[in-house]
Amino acid sequence: MYIDKAYVSIIKNRYGLTIDEAIHDCLLKMESSKKDNNHDQGSYKISIRNLNVWFGTKQILKNINLDIKPNAATAIIGPSGCGKTTLIRCLNRMHEMTPGAAAKGCVLIDHRDIYYKTVDPVIIKRRIGMVFQKPNPFPTMSVFDNVAAGLKLNGVKDKRLIKDIVEESLKDAALWDEVKHELDKPGIGLSGGQQQRLCIARALAMQPEILLMDEPTSALDPIASSKIEELIHGLKKDLTIITVTHNMLQAARVADFTAFMYMGELIEYGSTNQIFKNPQKELTERYISGKFG
Amino acid sequence: MTRLLDLGIDHIHNIIMDMAKLSENSVFTAIESYQNGVHIKKQIFDWSEKLRISQEEVSDLSVELIARYQPVASDLRFIKSCMEISYGFSRFGRYSYDIADVLETMGAIADCDKSAVLETSKIVREMITISLQALQSRNKNAVEKLYQMDDIVDAQYRKYFRDIIESSQEQQENSVPSKYNNNPRCYISALLILRYLERISDHACYIGDSVHYIVTGVSSPRR
Repeated sequence: MYIDKAYVSIIKNRYGLTIDEAIHDCLLKMESSKKDNNHDQGSYKISIRNLNVWFGTKQILKNINLDIKPNAATAIIGPSGCGKTTLIRCLNRMHEMTPGAAAKGCVLIDHRDIYYKTVDPVIIKRRIGMVFQKPNPFPTMSVFDNVAAGLKLNGVKDKRLIKDIVEESLKDAALWDEVKHELDKPGIGLSGGQQQRLCIARALAMQPEILLMDEPTSALDPIASSKIEELIHGLKKDLTIITVTHNMLQAARVADFTAFMYMGELIEYGSTNQIFKNPQKELTERYISGKFG
Repeated sequence: MTRLLDLGIDHIHNIIMDMAKLSENSVFTAIESYQNGVHIKKQIFDWSEKLRISQEEVSDLSVELIARYQPVASDLRFIKSCMEISYGFSRFGRYSYDIADVLETMGAIADCDKSAVLETSKIVREMITISLQALQSRNKNAVEKLYQMDDIVDAQYRKYFRDIIESSQEQQENSVPSKYNNNPRCYISALLILRYLERISDHACYIGDSVHYIVTGVSSPRR
């Protein structure tokens, strides 16, 4: 119920339309993009096909082909500079915001290429939430306003709707009980682990289908990290989660599937159990066993 | 650069190799003692105890390596397999002791027909040798041959068992004297030792399974 109201409200306010016009507009866009932009990707949520990415003349990703299953956590591991962060930034079209960045290939989400000409990148970013390495709550906003920020920026004005979504998001992020009496306090007044969960709640408020997490616990202590890991475990029932991590053991703990990258290439991808018990590629075996270098 | 984990893995490897030699020696010596009527129960008991203690040492060390270093991939498979292999070797020791105990318990069996046991023991000795060689050389294909030989050992044990029962039945039904009646010690001791040899051959197969798992990451299809 919430997503329908919020989504239509966003479209309505963005384009200055009436409710009926907004709904009609959404349906039209979906239909027109269906005809030219309809790809078979089986039962996967995200399919990356022949993705090549450059920063200027330097090629960062080389011919990446990867299928991500829905309602599961996928970890991307690899040494520093192998292209993990660049890859996930391509999934929500953040990569193109960097000057000099270029991408070729396609990224299918629910059978649609998100790089297709008629696709609105803002809508993509709305469907795909992102959490970064360093917790970054908006410094001048309260806990409540941090979570509500995305909704308000997209034109949602219904105060009751906003309040309900904020509470639900904070509960989903396992933060509600700790902040319910301090929603007016500044977001930066929380501990590091709480700030990161606040950022997750902020992403969840937009009701994404996919959540990208770029080393979400690397700046946190072990106890805070384990709370985030438990949160990932709970969220993946309803979301498709992709997490970049340097911590291989974290990948082993939280991820259902693991992709190993090296120097811009996808070396191996499979179930976490198979990757960590019986990797097929020698390079994967050497990396996860700590025999690199 | 040597990883900290490698020091532990090397230690486990050395214990396993020592256990391999000792367990092979235990089984061969126990069979020879049955064949030649030499009582060496105490010696084999000491070896069996040593194998049991080594098995516990491998188990403790494996758990410590897992807790401290969280090994993955081939390291993890090796450590898991070593726990299973060391148990197999400790069972070799235990069955060797049981074979030696038969000789002491049964008393005078020097004049018994030992051909069935000796024929089976020849196959079991070869199986032990093959399984230890597979472990040393990481030969994942040895398990196939081991299971073929295990089938022969199983068949020989079951045949001997069946023969005793059928002979006894024939005696009851047709009053034909059973060849096993003359000296029950002979066929009871032979049956017990065949049973122990059958179990040793099973464990030799399990060692082959473990080697297959270390190399391929896949459990042996027979399982």
